[in-house]
Amino acid sequence: MNRDEIPPGTLYLLVLKALGLRGELHGYEIAEFIEHSSDNVLQVEEGSLYPALQRMLIKGWVTAKWGVTAGNRRARYYQLTAAGRKQLAVELSQFERVIGAVTRVIQTA
Amino acid sequence: MSWMGEWGRRMAMLFDRQRFRDDLDAEMRLHMELRRRQQMERGLGESEALAAAHRRFGSMYSIKERSQRMWGWGWLESLMQDMVYGVRGLKRSPGISAVALLSLALGIGANTAIFSLIDAVLLRSLPVKDPGRLVMLGDAQANGITIQFGRTDLYSYPVYRALQKQNQVFSDMAAIFSLPNDVYGYVDEGGQQEPMHVQLVSGTYFETLGVQAQVGRLLRDGDDDSEGDHPVAVVSDSWWKRRMERDPAVLGKTLRIGSTVFSIAGVAPKEFFGTKVGKSPDIWIPLSMMRAVPPHWGSYSDAKVASLYLIGRLKPDVTAAQAAANMTLLFRQIFAPMVGDFPYDPSVEKNTELLKHATVLLTPMATGISDLRHEFSDPLRFLMAVVALVLIIACANIANLLLARSTARARELAVRQALGAGRSRIVRQLLTESLVLAAAGGALGVVLAAAGSRLLVRLVSTGGDALPLDVSIHAPLLAFTLAVTVATALLFGAIPAFRATRLQLTDSLKSGRGATGAATKGVLAKALIVSQVAISLVLMVSAWLFLRSLVNLTHVDTGFNRENILLFQVDVSSAGYQSEDPRLPNLYRQTQERVAALPGVVAASFSDFTFHEGSWNGGIFVQGFDNNGEVNVKHNIVGQGYFATMGIPIVEGRAFGSQDTPTSPKVAIISEHVAKTLFPAGSPIGRHYSPDTRKQAGEFEVVGVAKDVKFGSLDEPTDWLDYYPLAQGSNYLGDFEVRYTGDAGAVTSAVRKTIHEIDPGLPVTHVETMDERIADTTVDESLVAELCWFFGLLAAFLSGIGIYGLMSYLVSRRANEIGIRMALGAERGHVQWLVMREIAVLVTAGLAAGVPIALIGGRYVEKMLFGLKPSDPVSLVAAVVLVLMIAAGAGLLPARRAARVEPAEALRCE
Repeated sequence: MNRDEIPPGTLYLLVLKALGLRGELHGYEIAEFIEHSSDNVLQVEEGSLYPALQRMLIKGWVTAKWGVTAGNRRARYYQLTAAGRKQLAVELSQFERVIGAVTRVIQTA
Repeated sequence: MSWMGEWGRRMAMLFDRQRFRDDLDAEMRLHMELRRRQQMERGLGESEALAAAHRRFGSMYSIKERSQRMWGWGWLESLMQDMVYGVRGLKRSPGISAVALLSLALGIGANTAIFSLIDAVLLRSLPVKDPGRLVMLGDAQANGITIQFGRTDLYSYPVYRALQKQNQVFSDMAAIFSLPNDVYGYVDEGGQQEPMHVQLVSGTYFETLGVQAQVGRLLRDGDDDSEGDHPVAVVSDSWWKRRMERDPAVLGKTLRIGSTVFSIAGVAPKEFFGTKVGKSPDIWIPLSMMRAVPPHWGSYSDAKVASLYLIGRLKPDVTAAQAAANMTLLFRQIFAPMVGDFPYDPSVEKNTELLKHATVLLTPMATGISDLRHEFSDPLRFLMAVVALVLIIACANIANLLLARSTARARELAVRQALGAGRSRIVRQLLTESLVLAAAGGALGVVLAAAGSRLLVRLVSTGGDALPLDVSIHAPLLAFTLAVTVATALLFGAIPAFRATRLQLTDSLKSGRGATGAATKGVLAKALIVSQVAISLVLMVSAWLFLRSLVNLTHVDTGFNRENILLFQVDVSSAGYQSEDPRLPNLYRQTQERVAALPGVVAASFSDFTFHEGSWNGGIFVQGFDNNGEVNVKHNIVGQGYFATMGIPIVEGRAFGSQDTPTSPKVAIISEHVAKTLFPAGSPIGRHYSPDTRKQAGEFEVVGVAKDVKFGSLDEPTDWLDYYPLAQGSNYLGDFEVRYTGDAGAVTSAVRKTIHEIDPGLPVTHVETMDERIADTTVDESLVAELCWFFGLLAAFLSGIGIYGLMSYLVSRRANEIGIRMALGAERGHVQWLVMREIAVLVTAGLAAGVPIALIGGRYVEKMLFGLKPSDPVSLVAAVVLVLMIAAGAGLLPARRAARVEPAEALRCE
């Protein structure tokens, strides 16, 4: 099955949104959540996910703490911070603006 | 705010790297594991599932790297890595590294030490408000008290007030007495008499400078509005600390100076040392009290008596040129009515003419006033050039060392490049290694400099106390050192680094040695040696020049017998004697007679001046002979025994004697030079003349002619001097000279004891022998010569190491060729000559390059030399010989080694 790469620049938006909806997720769950919610269209590359998470930690959009999974394994759970919530709003409006613009271009054609 | 949080997190990650790495590692392993399970649930076998998970995940290592790069510390990590590499490389050859490190430390340390002096003396701004807006009238080259008409560098108090009131260009003006008042006074009445450095200043001094008190108040204009009414003093921070241990009750204390009791009004701020670099007053007293402070110099009300420096703070919108124009205009207006008032040259026409052209020059005051600057700026600049050259030689050595090492590392670097390391990455690594070396050298250099600059200050200080110069290590100095260090690293690191990476990869990999690289490396290394030899020669030539100049200077005929003279300062003014005091003639006579009668004392005399003290001078007017009175003759007032004490021969006529009394006809003795140039031909004995005024041209009768002597310094041309008997005047005389035999120490204490028997309150200070004083006058020259030798030898030694290193390297590379030659029957002596010949070529080239540089460079030091030209052939030849000897010494070892090569062994090696 062919899956689509995540459009550049939207990974942060997707991760923030996932955390916004679910509250607390570890890395694998984030990847899975995005895949499932997109009906398996979007596939998150691990190669992009972990650097992105590190960057979000530095930016202060998310915090991480160690917890235990349902399967009783140690996992690192990420959570949105207030700054993260703000960033989510920013990314969302930016995304909508871009999509709106793209749509308008396509419709005029 | 948010970026601070971000940086905080970055820093946290930097310091807790390991935990962040472990966390990342753990969560990625979990991710992989969960992915594997997912694949298994989808029906894959265990190993297939793992493979799928791996495939999907990609390189864990690269993810980790990319994640860590997000922290933004990648550059630091690779820098650290390079530094560790560099340190390891240095440790691999400890001997060479130690030499490199030491030469760098000496080079950088010397540069920092000399620069710290340059900074303290020449560059640093005064610690006052906006020093760039301060200007000084005149150039502060002169000091003293003068009644010469039309001086634009020294001013009288009334003229200062007139300029202050009438000017439109300064927000304020201040006056500073041009001489320090070094007095002996008491703290709080009783107690011991102690030395105090007093600086007289106008009440506006501190306000003009924009300096605030740290305790109490500083002087204000009101302290300076009427003569003699304001006995207040401000003390310096260092005096407060030294004398009072920072007692906050300092404000209640009083100082008795002369016969006046001053109350301490405040303490100046810590960093404020005054306006004169290298002179830190203990106490500032308003000019209104100038007649109360010994030696009671100057005048508060006489517009003709000029003794003050004037400074002003430019108004915000006024340029220095506008201010100078305004000052010149005011100066001419103020002096116009006074053209006839000056007693010593009553020619009104001449003064009017002079005034027409009088111009007030303004000098920037940002860095303060300094005699030191005048005295030391040439030697310091010269030494700075010397130490810079030494550093360049050290750099050349290290560059050669790194070149040799990079040849040895050619294979390693080729492998790394072949594996895909970018050239810039390798250059960066090699430069980092140089930087490590330079930084270690720099750090060591700062330590050396801290000790060295203090030693330098001590060496240039004369007479007991070290000059109050702040040469401590501070931020601008460290910035300088850092800049020097980085420049050094680039200088010696860049060429080897770029050369090392410009390899023919395949060649290097094949043979392990860059065949093409070696040839060019040889040329470069040789060029470095040639320039080292050239620079060494230049430094050695200057070392010889300054040594010979110093020898010339110390062998100058002073005209007097410099041996066995003790000099004392007897401060009669601090002991409460007034000028024209009726007790003074008796005090002088009694002291001279009683000291002269002491055992071990040959003769003793008071005088107004003696060697190297400044002067009181003016024109003289000879009866019946017009010499225009334009030559400044230096006058001295001396006791009867002065000529015997100093050992100055009287070449004609007589010395002063007991027949010269206050009531006898006034007499004088002139120097040979005065007799020859200012008197008519024939014997001057019996002729009449007068100092200073034409009106009384016959006042003094010449009774003797004294041999010419040096008066101010050893290197001065023959000066015009005349002498007047102490018995016929009533001035303060502070100098007391004693000619002694035997032990100077015993005579000193006997003299002190005798003087204290006559007046227990007389401070006797600054005891030294004439030889010591003369040595003090050549302290700069000695210092320059000594340092020049030190650095010259250091440079030659470093060049020697360079030659040794290069030759050893070449010999080891040519062992094979030498082996063949010897197998074919070459003599050992011939082989040795083969190596020495190569050295000879390099050294000759270096000398050939160095001689013209030395000759051209010599022009810049010409005025610092005494009694010889910079092209002095003796110095040139001596320097060439010395450099040759060092080079030969350095070459001999490798040459011997070459001669000891065993043909069989050398051939087997290949």
